[in-house]
Amino acid sequence: MKCLLIASESAEVLFHWTDLEYQRNIQEQYGASQEEGEELPAFEDILSTLFAPIIISYSTMEDSYTSFTTDNNHIYVLHQFDECLYIAVNGDGEEKEDDLRRKMYVMKKMIEVMFGMVTLSGTLLRKELRPQDTEQRIRLWKHLQNLIETYSHLRENDQSFLVEAVERLIHPMLCEQCIEFLERRLVQQLNSSVERAGEEVLHAFILVHTKLLAFYSSRNASILTTSDLLALIIMAQNMYPSNVDLDDQSPEVTKSFYTPEPSPSSRDSGSSGDLHALEISPPDPSTPRRVFLDISLKDGLYPMMPHSMYCLPLWPGITLVLLTKIPTSAVALSVYKYLEDFDKLEKRLREGQGSSAAARSPLNMQDVRCKLDKFVKALGPSELQSAQLQIVWTEFKNRAFAKNGPGFNKDLIPWCKKMKTQLCGIYRQCFLIDSTDFPQRLSPGLQEGAQAMMQEKLMDWKDFLLVKSKRNITMVSYPRNFPGLVHFICVDRSSGQMIAPSLSITERTTSELGKGPVARFIKSKVWGLVRTTRRYLQKGYSTVTLRDGDFYFCYFLWFENESGYKLDSVDIPVLPDDSPPIGTLACDYYKLLRYYSKNHKGETVKCYELLTVHLGVIPTEIILQHCRQLASKLWEPSRNPLL
Amino acid sequence: MAELMPPDTRRCTYFFLYDGSKVRGEGDPTRQGICYFYPEETPLDKQELMCGQLAGVSRCVSELSSSPVHTLRLRRCKFAIHMMEDFFWALGCSTEVPTVSVCELLDHLINIFCFYNGPIRQSYQLNSKETLAAQWARYLSHVQSGPSEIYNIFRCLRTVDSTTVDPLLLLKAALILQACQRCPLVLTGCILFRGRVVSTQMSPQLTMKVMVQESETYTKSQRSNGASTSCSLGAPVSSTAVFLTTSELQYLQSTPVNKNVSPFSPPLLDAPPKKTRLSRTLSDTPSTESEPPRLQTPQKLSFSPHMSESDDSFSPAPSQSSADSPNTSPQPTRSPLPNGGHAVETEHKLSHHHGFKSNGGSSVFEENQCLNGDDVNGDAARRAVFDLQGDDSGNEQSRDAQMVVGDSGVCFRKAESKHPPPPFTCALDSLEESPLIPKMLYMHRVNGLVLALLVEHGFMSDAASMEEVYHSSLASLNGLEAHLRSIAAATPGTSGQYTFAHYDCIQSTLTTNVSGRSGGAPEHPFVRATSLLHSHFCDTETLQEAIIRNAGVAVYGTRSVAQVTYFQQHSGSLRNSGIPNQQDSAFSLPSKARHRLLKHGVNLL
Repeated sequence: MKCLLIASESAEVLFHWTDLEYQRNIQEQYGASQEEGEELPAFEDILSTLFAPIIISYSTMEDSYTSFTTDNNHIYVLHQFDECLYIAVNGDGEEKEDDLRRKMYVMKKMIEVMFGMVTLSGTLLRKELRPQDTEQRIRLWKHLQNLIETYSHLRENDQSFLVEAVERLIHPMLCEQCIEFLERRLVQQLNSSVERAGEEVLHAFILVHTKLLAFYSSRNASILTTSDLLALIIMAQNMYPSNVDLDDQSPEVTKSFYTPEPSPSSRDSGSSGDLHALEISPPDPSTPRRVFLDISLKDGLYPMMPHSMYCLPLWPGITLVLLTKIPTSAVALSVYKYLEDFDKLEKRLREGQGSSAAARSPLNMQDVRCKLDKFVKALGPSELQSAQLQIVWTEFKNRAFAKNGPGFNKDLIPWCKKMKTQLCGIYRQCFLIDSTDFPQRLSPGLQEGAQAMMQEKLMDWKDFLLVKSKRNITMVSYPRNFPGLVHFICVDRSSGQMIAPSLSITERTTSELGKGPVARFIKSKVWGLVRTTRRYLQKGYSTVTLRDGDFYFCYFLWFENESGYKLDSVDIPVLPDDSPPIGTLACDYYKLLRYYSKNHKGETVKCYELLTVHLGVIPTEIILQHCRQLASKLWEPSRNPLL
Repeated sequence: MAELMPPDTRRCTYFFLYDGSKVRGEGDPTRQGICYFYPEETPLDKQELMCGQLAGVSRCVSELSSSPVHTLRLRRCKFAIHMMEDFFWALGCSTEVPTVSVCELLDHLINIFCFYNGPIRQSYQLNSKETLAAQWARYLSHVQSGPSEIYNIFRCLRTVDSTTVDPLLLLKAALILQACQRCPLVLTGCILFRGRVVSTQMSPQLTMKVMVQESETYTKSQRSNGASTSCSLGAPVSSTAVFLTTSELQYLQSTPVNKNVSPFSPPLLDAPPKKTRLSRTLSDTPSTESEPPRLQTPQKLSFSPHMSESDDSFSPAPSQSSADSPNTSPQPTRSPLPNGGHAVETEHKLSHHHGFKSNGGSSVFEENQCLNGDDVNGDAARRAVFDLQGDDSGNEQSRDAQMVVGDSGVCFRKAESKHPPPPFTCALDSLEESPLIPKMLYMHRVNGLVLALLVEHGFMSDAASMEEVYHSSLASLNGLEAHLRSIAAATPGTSGQYTFAHYDCIQSTLTTNVSGRSGGAPEHPFVRATSLLHSHFCDTETLQEAIIRNAGVAVYGTRSVAQVTYFQQHSGSLRNSGIPNQQDSAFSLPSKARHRLLKHGVNLL
């Protein structure tokens, strides 16, 4: 009984995802009010009809709704992102309010990664999410639905997606070899090839299921944020679902939500999932995915910059991912800068009419004017989109800069908006519309070469890696060193990495926690603990200990400076209930925290989290001692007793 | 991003009742459906917007989920919602108040209304909207009268301070109530003093409802010096119609008459000595023997049939009691202390201790009780009858005391645990399913002291019974009042060293040193933490204890089946890095709480 709906303010369905149970429930609800024999309308129309009163009431209220619960424990969570209203529903008790809110934020993140700055314009995003063409719409929605399902599956089963940090395969020697190989051989070779069509490989990494074996970034690449990396792992998993949990719960099976029959090609994200079985040829696997990632340059942070993502499967479960910079990416930088300028201008016009801020703005705007004139000229009027931009820009200039024109006042606000829409349109044209006749990409041969090189390098390690990914940390020593310790998760929030013993609960594999019900019970406890501690963290509490049933849980969050010196704890902000979820995937909460804990500018602050599960019979002093040991040793492999 | 919410001391920000049946047609204005809206000064447009939108969206959600909406949240406010037929209630509080508390409060309000006015639909047919709006306003202000923020979290019964009141006075109060119950038309009662419970025979929920009327007559009597006459007995006595739910009535019927759920009600182990002692302590003692014994058994029987549809064990009472009587024969040997000064003291202490223990013990029984609940009912009823008989000879209580104290916990606990979201929920259900049963609430005021009795309708027309109850209790009430008045209203000031709150879930009492003075600002961090922990405890059945800490505050919470305790130690240097550390003062909170709270009568061992 799950549903996620994105609707416009006029209750038009921009996207929906429901599981079979909820779909049935909705159809029954609707059918009850229908006359006998009448055929049910399209599902999205039913949804739109039934949710319309909520959507309309939402925009009527001054202080908007954030959630509803009903007596039978259905939960509705609502959140508006710009002009899109997201509604997430759960009716089976498997998700709580915070899970639903997180799901919405993750969905928004995935849409940003897929559509970039087009998301900044409500009108364009509406068109993008709901293509006029039915076939195209079905294909897009199917892809997004698959992404949600892949994410949900990972969040429910993978510890790294539980805490939203990347898990590395712990094998320092192999890891080092691979990084060296990526740097010296692979990336160098790719970037010096003539077949790269102007693209430049910035990042290359190897995934074993969801775990990172090696990650290499070229020297002139910006740091890839944890949030983006996690989003990319979701996309890679969506393309090549790992079968690590196949005997437990097949992602294939969970993917049969929209279509009554899982389409055989549902692995391919872009494939058809249409009820009418439209013959849509699956996209060429060598065609990269356009992804929009945050980059930080010397002069600041630039969100949603276009990249191409190549997912090259080495073996089932092992994937090589390449991220390239595309030749036209400079346009995105400019568009972003102009968008920012118009945004600032709009804010100033809104705030202070005739105030000092407004007086200052013409000065800035002259600069913008010059640059934008050049920018428009460079685009050339050939394309329809740039012609439109030119028209709106001319009109804007007439109003703002003409001697006898109205100048910079509130009347200019709609024109700021128009400019922003036009800029987003340019961005869309440059980065979202493929010129089908000549796709921009590394040549297929080059991709195959890279794949082969990597396969050759890892051939002997393949089986080891697949096993290792299921049992990353073997905890053979901990009954001796840490009696009573059942489980722990340690997260380095500055690097976005986590360490935890594996919690495999499939029937076939036995983890240290045994298998079957016990392991499942402990898993549910760990998942519950993470939820609980986030709740307290949201309200400003950074240390939590709980005695719950037969277990004793601890949670600690602390800050260190670069040299490992423990910083005094600071007052953590108290956030409202509907604030963005605590985590990194959708929004990096810890970045905010690190900012708060800074004593002075320029200081690098590291942030760590430790969660432990002990047996309740262990005295608290011993438990705290264990926590202390884990906290101080875990990040130093040489001293780590568990590695 | 860092949005620190200002502490809103007002418990409730919105409360309204909307009757959708009044707004059926297209042209019907929304205002027609608004039965009551708080704050009353809200512009009508805004009232209409809130009622229309919230009721409308809730109906839509209810239809989607085939279940009424329970809570609704806005960014700055959370609402508990109750939907019944066309009625729509919404109670909005600050987002800091635990959701479970907001929902409880709304249920409580609706229950109070039904208690005094009967079924909702019917009362809106019989009375004008304005009259009932005044009632809602009254109930709302009553439930918001808690002295500090912490009362937003726990719905509790305020009692006289056991540490300052002589236990004998409490015993006295319990005896007055028992004496009143000799009149078979009297169902149950409680004694209240200036908005606090001295002794009660009712469940906490029922007592809370009765207290609304008490505070009302108190303010009235303050104003007009006690002229609320409604019966022949003159100034200090009043009565009002009330409505019990079937479950409340069943509970009353199934309870021993001398059952006493007041937290300080002394057990009756030392029943015989009390006479001598009391006659020395209090100005006047009513002779319990002065009541004609003829009233007892026959009359008990005479009223039992018409309220015993649900409880058959009442009818065979005579045979039961005779079956029981062999047990009673050895009893007189237990109470041979005629007027032992010292002996009384020790005996009393013993019994008090005993009472404490068995009260605690009742929680242990809890689960078993649910299993064989009906049996307990039958037993209790039998004992009830038996006790009345025993009372005649004046010395039977000693045997019963243990059982009764245990039993009261048992019965009450049963009421709570059988219907998980405590009795009020079933009360609400019964609004829809079964009718409310009209009874009378009789109140006898002596200055700040009130004797409140739930009585049969016949009582008010039975001049003889009324006079008897009045006269038999008058002198004792006067004496009790004089003593209670002389006790300085000692407020448990914050000791500076620590802050705590201890909630007894069975008796619904709260012991705390959160004073709410000076705006409660220094206590706010404690209340905020308590609020979070309370929600967590309510959500997670298996959670036993928790410590949460931020840079400035560490709060410890612990609970057992029957009670939950929150504790914060004020100390200068909590500052540390947050890395696990055995020396961290936060982790010594459990032991500190155990020690410090002992002197408040809170035993965490």
